[in-house]
Amino acid sequence: MSCKLVRRHLGAFVDGELDPATQIEFERHLEACSACQEYLAFERAFRQQTRESLGGSHAPEHLWARALHRLDEIDEAKTEYGSLIEIRPMRWKQTGLIAAAAGALLIVGGVVGLPDGADYTGAGMLQDVVDLHSKGLPSDVEAEAPQEVVRYFQGKTPFPVKPARFEEPSTRFIGARYIKVGSHPAAALYYDHGGRRVTLLVFQSPDMMRNAQRTQVGGRELYYHDVGGNVVTIRQHGGVNYAFFGDLDRPVLFQLAANARVAY
Amino acid sequence: MPRKPKTIPTERRLFETEARPHLDTLYSTALRLTRSPVDAEDLVQDTLVRAYRFYDRFEAGTNFRAWLLRIQMNTFVNRYRRTTRERQVFDGPMATPVGEGVMSRATMRALTDPVGDAQRQIIGREINRAFEVLSEDARAMVLLADVEELSYKEIAEVMGCPIGTVMSRLHRARKQLQESLQQHAVELGIIDAEDDDTEDPVSLEAFRSRKAAKS
Repeated sequence: MSCKLVRRHLGAFVDGELDPATQIEFERHLEACSACQEYLAFERAFRQQTRESLGGSHAPEHLWARALHRLDEIDEAKTEYGSLIEIRPMRWKQTGLIAAAAGALLIVGGVVGLPDGADYTGAGMLQDVVDLHSKGLPSDVEAEAPQEVVRYFQGKTPFPVKPARFEEPSTRFIGARYIKVGSHPAAALYYDHGGRRVTLLVFQSPDMMRNAQRTQVGGRELYYHDVGGNVVTIRQHGGVNYAFFGDLDRPVLFQLAANARVAY
Repeated sequence: MPRKPKTIPTERRLFETEARPHLDTLYSTALRLTRSPVDAEDLVQDTLVRAYRFYDRFEAGTNFRAWLLRIQMNTFVNRYRRTTRERQVFDGPMATPVGEGVMSRATMRALTDPVGDAQRQIIGREINRAFEVLSEDARAMVLLADVEELSYKEIAEVMGCPIGTVMSRLHRARKQLQESLQQHAVELGIIDAEDDDTEDPVSLEAFRSRKAAKS
């Protein structure tokens, strides 16, 4: 082993990052080579000086309190930050992606045997959304990758369905299925939010918005319908409706819907 | 909207307990990255907010400090988009070639055994100065490896690069730090340039004769 090689990788040696066999070879060389020993002594001393010189700044006392205050705000209302900058490439399973249509996410309420025809309008559709959720129909696609969901809906829905993302990390995507609401093709996306089921129905129907109430949550415009003590929350994006329904309290559902990234 | 906590308090408590001991590390690193106490505070705060949001994605049993640093590094990169460009310069064809004999033996010796506190302080100051002129990427490597003492694997995760790349980038960063230190030290006369034997081929004979001459 040459001095040149040893010196080139002395840093990794001191870091303890060489493989064991090489480490031993280095040790042997260093025992016998006083010139390299000098380099080693420098490497170690310099490392220590670097650490002492650059490290050890103390955070100002108010910083922790400041940070906690921000955490309080998150706890209190997760609505202030509509969009979320990703920390790293998201993995489908972890992120709790909400399926989103490219245009929008719709909650489709259609189930086999649903009424069809001209008088099947808003109210019936809403009830279907609720029923769809309550029945908990099995998923057709339990995707590991968002692309699989996109592929699954290709040719089935007249709009592309893409996994939507929820800001709340506790919201996980479970699966999705194609469904019909009345005569409208739709995508049903199932999520788990802290142990509670959430259904997101993606579809196109102007009827859905009729007589809907309007509200603003975290700067996002939301529509909602009260359906027999439950609330269906709807977002519109690119001509597509995203209806959220779940076993959640109204404010939680509103926040969830407002923070979901349905199109991106 | 009523201000009433909705999340489970235990998770929040757990997060606080785990994160609090690393506040100084985060701040110290943030200060080195941003070069500004105000920006550093903002960065730490954003880091903690993000870490809290993604707390359930932290893999138990792994290094929480490394995880926080990764979030901080990403937050920093997102906010200060310069890094990509700097990295290209740093790793690309424009990167300064770094030889092995960056530092002269004389400098090495002076740094290995500083005489007295005064000299230690000068060296500390010089390391700071040399560090400040490094590229963002090089500063990050030195901070993570030499100050925070993360493993190469952890650094790879923080920086989002393969482990093999960590080794070469770290090597280059350290050499750049030493090079800058060396130049400045000679300029300031801290190191006697006459004693500078950079060009001297490293040989055991030369070392022995020098040693013999000294004693």
